[in-house]
Amino acid sequence: MVSKEEIEHVAKLMRIELDDHAIHIDRVQKMIEYLDILDRAIKEITEPLIVNEQPLENLREDKYEPYNDKLIDKLKHYKEKFIRAPKMV
Amino acid sequence: MNLGISALEYIDAIKNGDFTIEEFVSETFDRIKKVDDKLHAYLSLNEKALDQAKELDKKRKAKEKIGACMGMSVAIKDNICVKDTKTTCASKMLEKYVAPFDATVIARLRKQDTLFIGKTNLDEFAMGATTEFSAYGPSKNPWNPEYVPGGSSGGSAVAVSALESIASLGSDTGGSVRNPASFCSIVGLKPTYGLVSRYGLISYANSIEQIGPMARTVKDTAFLLNIITGIDPNDNTTVDNHGEDYLKDIDAGIDGKKIGVISEMVGKGTDKEVSSATKKALAKFEDLGAKCEEISIDMVDYSVASYYTITSTEAGSNLARYDNLRYGFDFDLEEYEFNSYISKARKNFGPEVTRRLIIGGFVPSTGHAGKYFLEALKVKSRLTKEINSAFKKVDYLVAPTVPVLPFKFGEKLDDPVAMFLIDFNTVTANLTGKPAISVPFEISNGLPIGIQIIADSMQEKSLFQAAYALESTTNLPKVPL
Amino acid sequence: MTKIGLEIHCQLTKLESKLFCSCKADYRGFEPNTNICPVCIGLPGSLPRLNKKAIERATVIAMALNCQTPQKIAFFRKNYFYPDLPKNFQITQLNIYGPTSIGQEGKISVEGKEVRIRRIQIEEDPGRLIYEGSSERTQITLVDYNRAGTPLVEIVTEPDFENPKQVRLFLNILSDLLENLGVSDPSLEGAMRADANVSIEGGSKVEIKNINSFYDLEKALQFELTRQQSLAERKIEIIQETRHWDDRRKITISARSKEGEEDYRYFLEGDIPWVVIDPQIVARLKKDMPESISSKRERYIKDFDIPSQVADVLSSDKFYSDLFEQAHNKTNAKEVANLITTDLMGFVDTKEKRKESKLTAKHLSDLANAIIENKITRNSSKTVLQTIVKTGKSISQIISEFDLGHVSDEKELTRVIEEVIKEESNAVEEAKQKPETINYLVGKVMKKTKGKADATLTLNLLKKKIAEQ
Repeated sequence: MVSKEEIEHVAKLMRIELDDHAIHIDRVQKMIEYLDILDRAIKEITEPLIVNEQPLENLREDKYEPYNDKLIDKLKHYKEKFIRAPKMV
Repeated sequence: MNLGISALEYIDAIKNGDFTIEEFVSETFDRIKKVDDKLHAYLSLNEKALDQAKELDKKRKAKEKIGACMGMSVAIKDNICVKDTKTTCASKMLEKYVAPFDATVIARLRKQDTLFIGKTNLDEFAMGATTEFSAYGPSKNPWNPEYVPGGSSGGSAVAVSALESIASLGSDTGGSVRNPASFCSIVGLKPTYGLVSRYGLISYANSIEQIGPMARTVKDTAFLLNIITGIDPNDNTTVDNHGEDYLKDIDAGIDGKKIGVISEMVGKGTDKEVSSATKKALAKFEDLGAKCEEISIDMVDYSVASYYTITSTEAGSNLARYDNLRYGFDFDLEEYEFNSYISKARKNFGPEVTRRLIIGGFVPSTGHAGKYFLEALKVKSRLTKEINSAFKKVDYLVAPTVPVLPFKFGEKLDDPVAMFLIDFNTVTANLTGKPAISVPFEISNGLPIGIQIIADSMQEKSLFQAAYALESTTNLPKVPL
Repeated sequence: MTKIGLEIHCQLTKLESKLFCSCKADYRGFEPNTNICPVCIGLPGSLPRLNKKAIERATVIAMALNCQTPQKIAFFRKNYFYPDLPKNFQITQLNIYGPTSIGQEGKISVEGKEVRIRRIQIEEDPGRLIYEGSSERTQITLVDYNRAGTPLVEIVTEPDFENPKQVRLFLNILSDLLENLGVSDPSLEGAMRADANVSIEGGSKVEIKNINSFYDLEKALQFELTRQQSLAERKIEIIQETRHWDDRRKITISARSKEGEEDYRYFLEGDIPWVVIDPQIVARLKKDMPESISSKRERYIKDFDIPSQVADVLSSDKFYSDLFEQAHNKTNAKEVANLITTDLMGFVDTKEKRKESKLTAKHLSDLANAIIENKITRNSSKTVLQTIVKTGKSISQIISEFDLGHVSDEKELTRVIEEVIKEESNAVEEAKQKPETINYLVGKVMKKTKGKADATLTLNLLKKKIAEQ
């Protein structure tokens, strides 16, 4: 279960301004309620998590290779060379 | 000219000189003009395609060798980067985003002289099962335009199904290639996790998703897979398939093979038409020499909950970069402070993405991670263990691709859990990394039903053999549009 | 009891490329946003490509700090929003599924006190924020991503430090250690940054961030300790919080947290499979590790009879120890060591001077040998070294050019001494009365011979001659 306040708090955490609170909150509550069945899934897990592995040898060699395209030109740029951010408070 | 030919037939036709690449592309664009206003498979078209086709024809005339795809028209889901092309993920957040590089799969296809006809529609950021969540309007099912085409790779499925391209690429996180393939009566494959490079696929749930080929025949799908697979230094999660040829011996058949029907996937919640089609498919498998038995995989009942927990968490993180500072859409930052600016900018996410992001912030958060996220990981691990055990007993696992028939627009929109459950039969393959394919099997009252076959990791060759065998027992009508 | 703990971020500046892409690891000197690529700027569809040498170097650092390295390491995402973070998450390491970061539970000795290392982790540096405009109202925030993705090793200590002095000593030892390992150049601006946590008896732990230099760190610690002690004296509670070091006002101020606590939603980085570090590789890395500073120091004292203060300087500075290693042999080791730590130091005490210096190990070796063979006096060594550093000329060249040959020929010396005695009759008389004033005459002989006279011989001959007067 999850409360409306908690949902609003999380929306803030995820940096999303919510307009139509009611619709979203109601649906999100239903969705999270469904996820509650995970509680019943397993009484206890003994095996370790299955993960992907790679040997150290397969990793990238430490070489400097400049990226050819002038990438900043293709992004939102300010004065040709910076990315501009809103003021930090 | 028959736009409905398969990819392999197309290649032969070009080699034989039955028509030129330019002629085929031109007819394709005519077809798109005719039907796409209604079907909305495409978000954008490649204006240069005709010129590119002419170039390839010129080369051929000069007896120069061109790539194996011979200028084949392929549609690309709009969450896959094609260099210098708008790549929007069907979202307003990336309205103006032009990808500065090719995805690895695109580079590989390009090398074989594929023509990218256009970028296709999807549910926004690949989150959805119907394309109803596209910020640019849904795509329509060519078998009956009042019905959803499936999703999230709906546009890619429609393009192939409605003869607007020969084949397409989609992406599959929880069924997003297989589901629309089933709903539109085409073939769609989700490869083993790591078989196809994800470099250039705009991430939604990176530990689970794969790019998958979609085509009208099983052989076509195998042909495309041959081109796009391979280890990629740009993607650390790729695995080596040692240059395996998926077309070779594809007609070997399945005599003597064992097939397990996943009981959890044919029980409650399955439409009766889908049930009956599945039974017919099993009978066909037995005709082909295989033995079918029921297999129960406990964790399947929790797979959807595990899937949505994990994918929302990953989505919450993968979509965090969309703050409109480096790329995105026009929105002046002058009057704002940082957090309020990005919170407002991120209102441009659609409602479903917004909901998933909130869930994705909630389930791994301190205080809740233990109950949701960690539990989901445990289910994923246990499910993998169960499926691995199953593959010790059988060669293939089978189930209907989608438990229900294609449905009308708006039908599931108000019930988020009902929407979740559309993926009930498909998420298992994603969570466990196993390859799975949807083969069109039946048209029931004008609506397509697909059968899903799952194989063990890296067993695509064997998977294609089973799919090809099943396909050869079908004789489906042509798409009505 | 005062408890201070540190979180030190060290850039692996000696790597060629960044942690997850092939852009340059050392971003200094680039025009803004020219050392970037789709990966380090987090473009949609980009994926991280882990740098093998970064893992190897971090493993070496972990070993040097006596840490355990697990056989499999993993990477995690730390999710938060900030403009210098292109993906709005940082790829870092954690230990929430057992030990998965590159180093655990190490220790290092700081002047007899053992400081425990809690863990070492590999992570990426964010970009840099630059502020344009003077007033807060008109200020513009600009972002330069050249630094984004630079490989970092974060070293977290237990709160074992008892005072700021110990912290300063530790940081010096750590800098020398990293430089000696050849993994980082700590003198580069921003290459080493530290945050601290401070608590006094009965008080809560206070984190201090935003410290830009080690000098500032010491000041910040002193300020914070005073602040906390003053609160304690007035029986005011010291609340647990994060404070920022205000460089302008030289105080720590409470960092306002607006949305309540940040929740980082840590989870495994799915794009980077766990890295399996074969024990054989670890053994090879250990074998190839440069000799540690303390080991060098012991060896210099034991094998070459070099005095401990000289050994201290020689071993802790890589530039000097490298020179020494190449220049010395069994006979001239002590002399070489001496030359480096007394005469040479002044000429190569900065990075720029070292870069421009034309001195080679052979020069040092030749010079030491020349002194031992009495071809040149030790007095001349400073001038000789200065010339070598500037011009790179060989010893023999300089000796002949500057006429610095050692005058130990008795006949020649006697002639000069007789000259001096004739010129300095008053001083000679004085020397007869007060023997210690003979040094004045020695000085005159030195002047006449341009410092080439053998000091001992001169003194003996002078004494003899004066006695004969």
